[in-house]
Amino acid sequence: MNSIISIPLGVMLFALSLSVQASIKVVTTTQDLAAIAKAVGGDYISVQSLTPGTRDPHFASAKPSMIRKVYHADLLLVVGADMEIGWLPPLLQSARNARVQPGKTGYLDLSNAAPLLGKMNHPVSRSMGDVHANGNPHYWLDPRNGIRMAMAIANRLEELDPDNSQAYQQQLKAFMDKINNKLPLWKSALAHLAGKPVIAYHNSFIYLADAFGFNIVDEVEPKPGISPSAASLSALVSRIKTDKIGILIMEPYYERRSAQYLNEQTRLRIAVLPQSVGAEDNINNYIELFDAIVAVLKKQ
Amino acid sequence: MGSPYFKKAAAVSIALLFNPITALASNETDLLLQQLNQMKQQMQRIQNNYEQQINALEKRLGDLESKQADNTKVVTTPVAPSSTTGTSNTDFQIGLTGLFSAGGSSVDNDALEGLQAGGHDPNKNGFTVQNVELSIAGTVGPYFDAQANLIFLIDREGETVVELEEAFFTTRSLPYGLQLKGGQYFTEFGRQNKQHPHTWAFVDQPVVLSRFFGGDGLRSQGIRASWLMPTDWYSEFYFGMQNPKGETVTSFLNAPDEEIGGHTLINRSTRDLSDLLYSARWLNGIDLSDTVSMNVGLSGLWGPNASGTTTDTRILGADLYLKWQAERSQRGFPFVSWHTEYLDRRYEAGDSDDPTREVLKDRGIFSQALWGFKPGWVAGLRAEYASAKGNTSTDPLRDTRKRLSPNLTWHLNENSKLRLQYNRDWTEHLDEETANSLWFQYEFNLGSHAAHEF
Repeated sequence: MNSIISIPLGVMLFALSLSVQASIKVVTTTQDLAAIAKAVGGDYISVQSLTPGTRDPHFASAKPSMIRKVYHADLLLVVGADMEIGWLPPLLQSARNARVQPGKTGYLDLSNAAPLLGKMNHPVSRSMGDVHANGNPHYWLDPRNGIRMAMAIANRLEELDPDNSQAYQQQLKAFMDKINNKLPLWKSALAHLAGKPVIAYHNSFIYLADAFGFNIVDEVEPKPGISPSAASLSALVSRIKTDKIGILIMEPYYERRSAQYLNEQTRLRIAVLPQSVGAEDNINNYIELFDAIVAVLKKQ
Repeated sequence: MGSPYFKKAAAVSIALLFNPITALASNETDLLLQQLNQMKQQMQRIQNNYEQQINALEKRLGDLESKQADNTKVVTTPVAPSSTTGTSNTDFQIGLTGLFSAGGSSVDNDALEGLQAGGHDPNKNGFTVQNVELSIAGTVGPYFDAQANLIFLIDREGETVVELEEAFFTTRSLPYGLQLKGGQYFTEFGRQNKQHPHTWAFVDQPVVLSRFFGGDGLRSQGIRASWLMPTDWYSEFYFGMQNPKGETVTSFLNAPDEEIGGHTLINRSTRDLSDLLYSARWLNGIDLSDTVSMNVGLSGLWGPNASGTTTDTRILGADLYLKWQAERSQRGFPFVSWHTEYLDRRYEAGDSDDPTREVLKDRGIFSQALWGFKPGWVAGLRAEYASAKGNTSTDPLRDTRKRLSPNLTWHLNENSKLRLQYNRDWTEHLDEETANSLWFQYEFNLGSHAAHEF
């Protein structure tokens, strides 16, 4: 009799123990957020990124598989500052998941955790191109913001899963220690760039410049999101010559013809920088992202 | 430690209550009073001691709380309050889309009307205002989203026409993966029917959709439920009921006195639930690799038609959409997409006592490929075929029809585009049998047009 009862009881207890161990399902809009979340959440969470680091997160290819991922999510991490404005609102509508709607504990906009640069204090017009009035959304490219983002994620994970709060704090501390140990190394490796004028393809490296002390003085795109024309390129050629600009930094996914043209005209060096975790095969976490960026810039 | 004193105190109080004071000797009274005072003092000391302990604990708790607040402050101090508006402004969107075309054809305007049967198709030599759409969308509250699309058109007589194209709500967070939608809306049948003209990949609507669903696409008043199924891949099932009557429900109770296959349509009314238009759709989405995704759908429609009082129509459809996007893509380019839909209609024409009763069988297919070869630039090619069983060669909506349409689109940015399209038509109902048309299209978006579905 006892053994008959104990079998279903054992099954129930086993099921219960499984449900206790079941991890928090975190879905992120980019691989950078996924990498930081994984560093902080460790084995207590599962993480999926909606977009790969090889692509421009402004222009995600909207796929129905995203609906399923968001539907099952306990926590949705977004870059915010209009980064996902073209595809996230309809996704949130279709995903029918009340837990991750804006304002809920399951929705975390990390642009609130970092001090944003490039805010517009004047009216914004579409004639200015793709301008983000609320600030430049590429803030993850400053390692100090990585710490801020990790803290915000840890706080939110603790709120959702108080039982493992200690583990989140420990993992957060380990992540912060890693960055704090690396930061001086990265800085000294890029010391030769301090104060130097640099041009970027798109207005997306201002946080990197801020962190490592170089100046982005112009962009290849005449306006954010607007492709360069022959006229805008030739104006840039004369600026590069007069201001003695040595380096162009750009994401891997932009066209290279304009850069090659500028290189031929001015001997401007081209530094193709991975902009995200996952942008290259060997970049699997947030630390490796800066290792890779520093490795490219060190040679310039 | 305190308990013996409590016992004594209790004993004293009981003694005081139950023993008349007069029965006590005076020395005993003094002794008792002395003891009582001692006990009072001890009680006071204990109370003080407890109070001190409680205060100390409260202070420690307060310190801990403020420490925690300090911890969170590190994260919250850099908060930029204005950056939250980035998400709040998606709550209410209003936008205006204008879609215009100019062009010409080797055939005259009357013939063009049969060839370009879509209500938003460029359909005359010269200029056409294809579609001016005012779209308002937003979140009503925690439970509902709502959207309304108003269409402004200029008809052949130059009159301005306003249409309530869509106005509907959808639920945001029903349990079990369910969602409800209600109001006036495009029926979820196939991939193309729901799309608004400014998101089309070609300047005109596929032939088979104009034939089965009329110029404006299939839309009506009703309600539908959809269920996101608990499968390992994306799989969603839609089931809906809509009013079957009106010019936007063409294969059903549409337009008394018009004809289909020689059968004059009557004014048939809806009597009970069996007279409604029922729709079902099963849509699946699978990521074949990191760069290739596939959508496969099956759709069906069942409802009454106006050729008799008991006649029904059934339309079935299958759709396939494949998209490849380069691993490294700039603004979503380069990409290749392929979209194909097949539709089959079974139309009972005439009641069973009608000597001319027959079953009309129509079908059609369109297949279109797009190649986004550099940022902003898309080359497209569409091939179409539509036909019907029986002798239908004089009927512009049922003859055997083929059309081939290459086009080139330049998206100047996300809010404007230019498009050039050539149509080669093969028809049976026209004397010319073939027609060549060239259309130039321009589109702009003002404001924040509601983002489109997946």
